[in-house]
Amino acid sequence: MGHTATPEPATGGLTATEHRLANGLRVVLSEDHLTPVAAVCLWYDVGSRHEVKGRTGLAHLFEHLMFQGSAQVPGNGHFELVQGAGGSLNGTTSFERTNYFETMPAHELELALWLEADRMGSLLTALDEESMENQRDVVKNERRQRYDNVPYGTAFERLTAMVYPEGHPYHHTPIGSMADLDAASLEDARSFFRTYYAPNNAVLSVVGDIDPERTLAWVEKYFGSIPGHDGKQPPRDGSLPDTLGEQQRVVLEEEVPARALMAAYRLPEDGTRAGDAADLALTALGGGESSRLHNRLVRRDRSAVTAGFGLLRLAGAPSLGWLDVKFSAGFEVADIEAAVDEELARFAAEGPSPEEMERAQAQLEREWLDRLATVGGRADELCRYAVLFGDPQLALTAVGRVLDITAEEVRAVAAERLRPDNRAVLVYEPTEPAEPTESADSGDAHENAAEETGQ
Amino acid sequence: MSDSATPTGTTMDFHPRPEGGEPTPWAFPAPERSTLPNGLTVLRCHRPGQQVVAVDVNLPAPLDAEPEGLDGVATLMARALTEGTDKHDAEEFAAELERFGATLDTHADHPGLRVSLEVPVSRLTKALGLLADALRAPAFPDSEVERLVRNRLDEIPHELASPARRAAMELSKELFPAGSRMSRPRLGTAQTVERIDGPAVRAFYERHVRPSTATAVVVGDLTGVDLDKALAGTLGAWEGSAAEPLPMPPITADDTGRVVIVDRPGAVQTQLLLGRIGADRHDRVWPAQVLGTYCLGGTLTSRLDRVLREEKGYTYGVRSFGQVLRSEPGGNGAAVLAISGSVATDVTGPALGDLWQVLRTLAAEGLTDAERDVAVQNLVGVAPLKYETAAAVADTLADQVEQHLPDDFQAQMYARLAATGTVEATAAVVSAFPVDRLVTILVGDASQIAQPVRELGIGEVTVVTGG
Repeated sequence: MGHTATPEPATGGLTATEHRLANGLRVVLSEDHLTPVAAVCLWYDVGSRHEVKGRTGLAHLFEHLMFQGSAQVPGNGHFELVQGAGGSLNGTTSFERTNYFETMPAHELELALWLEADRMGSLLTALDEESMENQRDVVKNERRQRYDNVPYGTAFERLTAMVYPEGHPYHHTPIGSMADLDAASLEDARSFFRTYYAPNNAVLSVVGDIDPERTLAWVEKYFGSIPGHDGKQPPRDGSLPDTLGEQQRVVLEEEVPARALMAAYRLPEDGTRAGDAADLALTALGGGESSRLHNRLVRRDRSAVTAGFGLLRLAGAPSLGWLDVKFSAGFEVADIEAAVDEELARFAAEGPSPEEMERAQAQLEREWLDRLATVGGRADELCRYAVLFGDPQLALTAVGRVLDITAEEVRAVAAERLRPDNRAVLVYEPTEPAEPTESADSGDAHENAAEETGQ
Repeated sequence: MSDSATPTGTTMDFHPRPEGGEPTPWAFPAPERSTLPNGLTVLRCHRPGQQVVAVDVNLPAPLDAEPEGLDGVATLMARALTEGTDKHDAEEFAAELERFGATLDTHADHPGLRVSLEVPVSRLTKALGLLADALRAPAFPDSEVERLVRNRLDEIPHELASPARRAAMELSKELFPAGSRMSRPRLGTAQTVERIDGPAVRAFYERHVRPSTATAVVVGDLTGVDLDKALAGTLGAWEGSAAEPLPMPPITADDTGRVVIVDRPGAVQTQLLLGRIGADRHDRVWPAQVLGTYCLGGTLTSRLDRVLREEKGYTYGVRSFGQVLRSEPGGNGAAVLAISGSVATDVTGPALGDLWQVLRTLAAEGLTDAERDVAVQNLVGVAPLKYETAAAVADTLADQVEQHLPDDFQAQMYARLAATGTVEATAAVVSAFPVDRLVTILVGDASQIAQPVRELGIGEVTVVTGG
């Protein structure tokens, strides 16, 4: 459907090869010699969904501990060595995985592999109470900075808890609760490492200006002797009914700058045609400045400052579609709720117009081109498809799958899922009138499903 | 969680840390400069493999050219450029852009306006047509301008609620003289924004937007693209009169050491912003200042975070940086030099005390050669990573144009950094961040933090109400 930006949208001739070490480590290599850089990305198949009651936030706290030294890397050496070699690095934790990545000048690739292997194989020889106490405080400050000290900052956490019921592995977000962060012990961290950090629970990708044979030899040299094990605990079952069954609603009275209406919907899992169709539906409805909700609420009704949909793709549970509308002064919740209902119902009945399909597909294709524009972005996508779907090659054909979706599939998923009985609604009522008095510099709002070590 | 009885991995074979190989030479790309018949300056740069092309247009329409009492008109004019043209109304224009998978962003700042287009190369010509329409023939319908004004007014409370933005606003107000445009919010206040209308936007456009003073930077994989032809039918068709460049007034600031607390009862963290003004890119000290500032607070292993984050756990991260306000060869330019971050409310006093101690130690003992070496290796070494995408290259080239710098400034910058020694870097950072010449803004709970901060003796403490 629609015309496409590239004659062959399957990512312009990118290829990837797959390998497996005897200890179970899966390796994906992809060559690109245009720029002298190489990305190393390591996905561990563990995320906040593997956490147990009373220990939320442990996977992310643990990710921070991975930067606190290992057998041959003292203290902050991991950061120091990578940055000193002209590289950049970080780690992030989401519901379904934890990733660690370095982008290096190509001639320093071997160092990044050595560093990742050292902590995969020997973290516990360096992990101590001092690091644990320090990073616990750092992570608590991360939580304050990104969520607790920000207007509407806990909205995503609240919506998640409404969409995935108590006891469900996705009920809590990766940042975890303050109480659980306080309760985590050094022994919890050690046990977490022993359970989940093993070569056979990880995928390593190396992308960029590399010699595949030599790279594979380095991988074998540094990672090959790390013993695999079968200690991993599978996450609790994430399956749920397709819809919530009835609308949930929470009204919060908080000191926020304006009234807001947010809603979260259960959507099809990532990796399915219906998942891609849902992405297109949310894009047409609320994915840009020509989307239906933007045109209706921001342009025509002038009832909202911003209005849009976001999608959190999940493979092990229903994905989450997130509506976020910030009100213009003087408008009531009922005004906007009625308009949103009307637009969603019309879309579910009519489906997208051919023009809307073309625009939504062009936008998603462009997002893919952006993600694949850097070696780091490509390395991450290869790991994602290898870990979550068992096949890194799927990363190279993802755009084609989005372009293959039909308008009828988009309409159908909207009709099935974007319904009042499948949404958790969160309304913010400001506790005091927000009167504009002065202005400040503008910036981007951002929503985060992943936590990071560095900022 | 069960304990695994299997080996923990300590049985792996260890190898010595590998030495790096031979670096592949890399240089910041040199753009090709030309001028279209209509006077538009064009910088083009072919970046193989970059399928998303970036086009940045610089318009020298500085904020200090906004008419008295109409702060924000530059921003609204910039936003209104994409709200309809002689060919499309506002909704159609947005739809056309998205049909091409393109984004078109505008930004108004002290030196001028930046219009940034990004689009897959296969649709470059079509998107250039939309960009040219927006610059050449914006419709500025009164009703759309009115909508943008109302939307802008509704954004203001959100910005005030953001601790980081509120701190930035207070720092500008403190640093710059009351009559200076820089002392006031970049996007205007409610009082000034509500006065803006269609005629005001059109007048600002007529006075400041024309091809002869503008520059377009085009970066991406241009294989098979006839850029001259694409430009001729789009930005080349933009017409306008000639104009003299506007003079740039000198920038002055009062950096008398003092503390202003913006009260936020109940805040769980305190947003810190310490700043003053200092050397910009035309100053010879710039590379040494970049190097020294990185050593102070460029990353998680710099001096500030080594103490405040990795030793004390007071913060998720504190950074020092230099951000150019305006820059020109005559020496009237300046950069804001600042330290920013958030610390837990109950440790605000101790965190600031430690921060001051880091600055005092730096002044007393200087940087080490090892610190300097690692910083140079990082700042120079990351260049090929940092400039992987077309947008990153275009952004830097456009900054250079905006700051009246030569096109090879960034390319030369790497050689200058490598030639900067420890002594120069120390001198630059110590004079950039003198402990008695920093204006400290704290957005936080005054009832909890004012007393501990007063006890530090880092300057007079005043408390202002939130908002």
